[in-house]
Amino acid sequence: MPNILISDPTLRDGNHAVRHQLNKSQIAGYAKAADAAGIPIVEVGHGNGLGASSLQVGEGLLDDRTILKVARENLTHSKLGLHVMPGFATINKDIKAAIEIGVDVFRVASHCTEADITQRHIGYIREKGREVYGVLMMSHMASKEILAEEAMKMESYGAEGIVIMDSAGAYLPGDVTERIAHLVSALTIPIGFHAHNNLGMAIANSIAAARAGTSILDGTARGFGAGAGNTQLEVLVAVLEKMGFSTGIDLYKILDAAEVAEKELMKTIPSIKSISVVSGLAGVFSGFAKHVERIAGEYGVDPRDVFFELGRRKVVAGQEDLIIEVAMELAASGKRRS
Amino acid sequence: MKEARVDRVLEDCRQVLGDAVDALGGLRGESVLITGGTGFIGSWLAELVTFLNDHHDFRTRLMLLSSRAHLLIDKAPHLATRKDITLIARDVRSAIEIPSEVGWIIHAAGNPDNRLHASDPAGTIDVIVSGTTSILEASSRLPNLKKFLNISSGLVNGPQPFDLDSIQESWYGGIDCSSVSSAYAEAKRIGETLCAAYRSQYRLPIVNARPFAFIGPYQSLDRPWAINNFIRDGLLGGPIRILGDGETVRSYMYPSDMALWLLRILLHGKVGLTYNVGSPQGVTLRQLAEKIASYFPTNPRIILGLALDRGVRRSKFVPDVNLPQKELGLDLKVNLEEAIRRTILWNKEQSKKRGVYQTIVNDASTNEE
Repeated sequence: MPNILISDPTLRDGNHAVRHQLNKSQIAGYAKAADAAGIPIVEVGHGNGLGASSLQVGEGLLDDRTILKVARENLTHSKLGLHVMPGFATINKDIKAAIEIGVDVFRVASHCTEADITQRHIGYIREKGREVYGVLMMSHMASKEILAEEAMKMESYGAEGIVIMDSAGAYLPGDVTERIAHLVSALTIPIGFHAHNNLGMAIANSIAAARAGTSILDGTARGFGAGAGNTQLEVLVAVLEKMGFSTGIDLYKILDAAEVAEKELMKTIPSIKSISVVSGLAGVFSGFAKHVERIAGEYGVDPRDVFFELGRRKVVAGQEDLIIEVAMELAASGKRRS
Repeated sequence: MKEARVDRVLEDCRQVLGDAVDALGGLRGESVLITGGTGFIGSWLAELVTFLNDHHDFRTRLMLLSSRAHLLIDKAPHLATRKDITLIARDVRSAIEIPSEVGWIIHAAGNPDNRLHASDPAGTIDVIVSGTTSILEASSRLPNLKKFLNISSGLVNGPQPFDLDSIQESWYGGIDCSSVSSAYAEAKRIGETLCAAYRSQYRLPIVNARPFAFIGPYQSLDRPWAINNFIRDGLLGGPIRILGDGETVRSYMYPSDMALWLLRILLHGKVGLTYNVGSPQGVTLRQLAEKIASYFPTNPRIILGLALDRGVRRSKFVPDVNLPQKELGLDLKVNLEEAIRRTILWNKEQSKKRGVYQTIVNDASTNEE
């Protein structure tokens, strides 16, 4: 029975959904439940990863060190994972400290066409003997050939696996199959997939990835994550098992963990709001949704127009400041919300 | 007083040259130009030749051409300050004139670091193809060129099928020439073809060597190759991490053997032929990690990268060296176990100089006798 390695970013991607305000007891409670369920990797942190807490992308309630320590204390079997974006996270200030606290798995991410910026981070983490993966975000913005070339860079820097992210929830299953199959054939290391649910395709896309040869899948409890949320983890585990894949996760306990997440972490269960559908169609990072809605409201423009314009400009995470620019231009052009 | 790491390399030279000095007599009083002269291969060739000068009165003059020649002053000051070595700080692509007294050329320019190949494939190709063209053009104007050794790569054969025990020089395999990941191997292939063209068209006396994998002094442990990383992990106190299931197969030659083989191929290799340079003894990464772990008193734990049953592809990279063994009588004087032991010791000495791995060095001892 083929193995699929599950990585659970409920406590990282989910932080987007609550403006990075997860507290100690929430982190401890879910980490403990995930650990009991046998989830291989539990990823924690600010939604944008290590060192990202800022006015620009949102200040976290807790600092990185506190989040990591709380999670570390509550994970016995599961590995502690961390999302790292060079630019936010620095080696000397952030990664060294994370290693000292006991992070097991680092996922070093870049925009899907900018893998070069990950070399030093991946190299340093490998040198320190920790597990390190390369992550290509907004992967719908690159062809399968370019993704493979960028992934090969990360492989050459020392990445032990490559995860492509559908950060905008823009994929249909055929897109996923095409990209994953190509990456699996082009690289010698495992390939993973991280979905968002803007078009209601997260489970279907994850299954397409599994069928195309992926070895790593991400999912979050109740789909807790940016925008329309992620692949709903407990459903994913159930479907994978039904299909004959092995995850090593205890079904009842992951169902219990999802209950904990619903009760403790979220005010509302993620659903596909109209704005999420639009962001998925526009191919814009789901984490923009709350900012777009707020700023569109301030300028009296239609957030759907903002999203489609952001999509036309091919914005990526970290370019949140463009939301204001787009809203101002729409307002100035007289395209106000009807 | 000389550093211990320098003495170790001198001892390596003494050992490998034991009964081989006479066979290298053709270099006495000669001038040798080495492109890429301050890299891993160039440094070892310089060690061997200067040993011959110091202990066997060879009076061979070396010219080490490199765009980063100044780095040798830090890396190997005992070489950089010698009177029988001239450092030429120049990019091989602009090597338009070679001193007329040069009779022997070893073209070793080209960086084998696959991180560079992935990040700068166009630059990788340019250095190899333009550099080879440039040095061949310059060589064709020399009045007394006796031999030109082109250092190619075992990678020109493309991926070795897992069921193929070893690669012969005559096995051409296949490379996907449309893939950016083929930049280095394809450039080395065209480098060999360029050599064939200059040999045929300008009657240059060219011989090729295809190096495989090596481990030893002057090789940085941060290079993204399994054995380097395993030794580094061990020096850092472990654990030793293996990517994949540990069944990938590699072979490793110690660089004193490599340098001797290259000098012998330079002197005695048949013009137009290609010789593999490497160890024919394959070892799985799991076996390799276990061997390395045994050299550390802490016996570091060995961890497999991902316990997955798909997604990790096994590979093999082992040369067939019957041709150099039979034609030139070459063999390996340093086995894998000894190569590992010497590499660990040299890196410990190196770390004392640079402060790397200092904590572990102070705590660990190895099986040094």
